[in-house]
Amino acid sequence: MFKDLDPLLHSQLRLAVISILVSVKEAEFTYLKEETNATAGNLSVQLQKLKDAEYIEIEKKFSNNYPQTLCKITPIGTKAFANYVKAIKQYIK
Amino acid sequence: MEEREIDANQSFELINKMVNQAQNKLTENGFLLLFWGWLVFITALVFYCLISAESSYASLAWVTMPFGGIFTAVYVMKKNKTEKVKSFSNDYVGYVSIAFTISMFIVLTQTNKLQLNCYPIIILLYAIMTFIIGGIIRFKPLIICALVSFVLAFAAFYFEFKVQILLIALSVLVSYILPGHLLMRKFKSQSNV
Repeated sequence: MFKDLDPLLHSQLRLAVISILVSVKEAEFTYLKEETNATAGNLSVQLQKLKDAEYIEIEKKFSNNYPQTLCKITPIGTKAFANYVKAIKQYIK
Repeated sequence: MEEREIDANQSFELINKMVNQAQNKLTENGFLLLFWGWLVFITALVFYCLISAESSYASLAWVTMPFGGIFTAVYVMKKNKTEKVKSFSNDYVGYVSIAFTISMFIVLTQTNKLQLNCYPIIILLYAIMTFIIGGIIRFKPLIICALVSFVLAFAAFYFEFKVQILLIALSVLVSYILPGHLLMRKFKSQSNV
């Protein structure tokens, strides 16, 4: 039987964000926005959902007097992503 | 990109695309390679001229190095603050650069104890550093240019001191300046996409 896919990751934008964050140490909100071509509002909502599930950490700070939002994947997020990839492979076979 | 459900194949394609996009994006712009390349190149040539003129102040030419070090530290700190993404490769490049600096310091300060001319070893350190960094950032020209520096390091053992100075200049021309320009061009073309 196929494993159930994580509903939190099985959506285009959240999966794109997690795929980027799993490949880098940390990324700024603006970087994620550029790479995913998402709107700021939509991206904020989806990041919050990932944060609520403890898949990512969001750090807000100021750099050169400008607000900066840094996102980083957590070990829980990494594990969830690995499980998702494992599950999705079974669907593709 | 919108918030919508996708099928398994689309998911897999999306993961591949995003991971490749993030991992293949160059975060090094080649500026420091060019900075150090030109600094060492010019310093080595000035040193060569002073040695040829039998100046007793020839070794003073290398005082540019600590200033280069200070400039690099300030540049890296500023760059870290403004970068939109921090990749793991940035960390690895940082560690390799620190190891290189420490090794260079040890070699330069212990030349007498080594009982040999340190220049071939310096060229060897340049080659090792550029080879590893080329591998980390997956930039083949840097790896190829580093291989040329390995050959220069080997050859340097067979030449007299004055020729070794010119080989240092040639080494940074090949393994820093040339790939530095190529890296900067690739970085700029990537930024314009």
